[in-house]
Amino acid sequence: MKGTELNYGDLEGVLKGLLESKAVDCLIMPRRVGNSVSYMLVRDKDKITAPESAIFAPSFGVNAANIVKGWLIDEKVGIVAKPCETRAAIELIKLTQLKEDSVLLITVDCAGTYANEVYAANYADIGDQVDSAKIKELAGKGISIRDACTICENRLADVGDIAIAQANGEKAVVAGLTDKGVEALTAAGLSLEDKDLEREAEKEQIAAEAKANLEALPKIDSEAALEEFLRDCIVCKNCRDVCPVCYCKDCFFDQPLGNPAGGDLLNLAETRGAVAVPANQLLYHLTRVYHVCTSCVACGACEDACPKDIPLTRYYPVITKKVQEIFEYVPGKDVKEPLPFTTYEDDELEECLK
Amino acid sequence: MGEEKGDFEPKIVGFTCNWCTYAGADLAGTSRKKYPPNVRLIRMMCTARFDPMFALKALLNGADGVFISGCHPGECHYIKGNFYARRRIAAMRTILKQLGLDNRVKSYWISASEGDKFATTMKNITEEIKAVGPNPVRDEIL
Repeated sequence: MKGTELNYGDLEGVLKGLLESKAVDCLIMPRRVGNSVSYMLVRDKDKITAPESAIFAPSFGVNAANIVKGWLIDEKVGIVAKPCETRAAIELIKLTQLKEDSVLLITVDCAGTYANEVYAANYADIGDQVDSAKIKELAGKGISIRDACTICENRLADVGDIAIAQANGEKAVVAGLTDKGVEALTAAGLSLEDKDLEREAEKEQIAAEAKANLEALPKIDSEAALEEFLRDCIVCKNCRDVCPVCYCKDCFFDQPLGNPAGGDLLNLAETRGAVAVPANQLLYHLTRVYHVCTSCVACGACEDACPKDIPLTRYYPVITKKVQEIFEYVPGKDVKEPLPFTTYEDDELEECLK
Repeated sequence: MGEEKGDFEPKIVGFTCNWCTYAGADLAGTSRKKYPPNVRLIRMMCTARFDPMFALKALLNGADGVFISGCHPGECHYIKGNFYARRRIAAMRTILKQLGLDNRVKSYWISASEGDKFATTMKNITEEIKAVGPNPVRDEIL
């Protein structure tokens, strides 16, 4: 792997260099606004100031991949984001909702994130950056990272074109993970040398902790439990709108059959005696979990977006993970690996059909 | 409504492919094989036409059981349709298993020459669904 170690202060120059050298035509990257961090789309390099105060911030508002979903443009977009966001972008490339040649995916190490409103409210305690020790310390004060982050096995920057990894002290390792990434960094004026960014031991430890946390989450294992879990759902479909991999232009649940109204609903009530309204609450969530089952990157954006505070991390990421396991598929890991539903093997899966 | 386990006539919706299982059902009929009348077949050109939403919708509308059946893998009329279908059905059933909803879902491979197998399978699924009992959503307001 080709990379170089930089001081935090040098990151500004790297990102500006990407724009200046036309390695990218624009950048979508985190920016700091007071206590908060949100995304901006930059074309003028002078608008980038002190990115180190924002790009490492453990704050999750939206999944950056959702911003570029369906952007089938020729201009090259650089996206500075966390691993789950990069993985979602890679899924979008495979789903033909994003052009591989039109994105430069820059992934930043993540230690776990706080919901953006929690982050802003507790900025004095959290600061610009956290590590696992700091996360434990803050949890003691009642400031907890998102459930989705506690079950995340892929928090280190090892996907995308460029990795920005945290090193000891106020230093970062910037490395090209693909030829495209190396080219862009070289164009931005960095001289790269061989770097080892494997970090296998750390990854194993993160994965083991994440698996234990996943096991500890309450299970939804019966129809009664599912109905109870979804009882407060108002079928606003926010979880769909913020989901980076839920991409149909015409969602079934926006059409008359999926979203019945007026006479259609009366007819249903006539058949069944009574129907719950808003209609199709269970069908919506069961269909959606199937639709995202191979591509869900477990970012937890659905839970954050739920206005009724339904802990959707216990549903979407948990249920879809088992499906990904039967196909031995990790969403967003490899842009060349085909989506499970677009391929097959002659002899497989019989045990799942019993 | 209010029926006891084992003592009711289940309604079972079957999604079958035109070339194998539907023809197999035809063969069972012309060979005068008896099988329970609880099964309602919906013919599709290929199991690859099966969208898991079909099964979900049937179950949520009160079907006591759902099954999908097509050509044996490798013998699809459209060469590879059922290979794709198998992946979708496996994904759907993996989801439903975790949610405890899979006991009303079955999937089979029955060819056009297996009239006997079709009749036996229909007997078995009817018995199995009777043992599971009526679908509770029929009495619920969903």
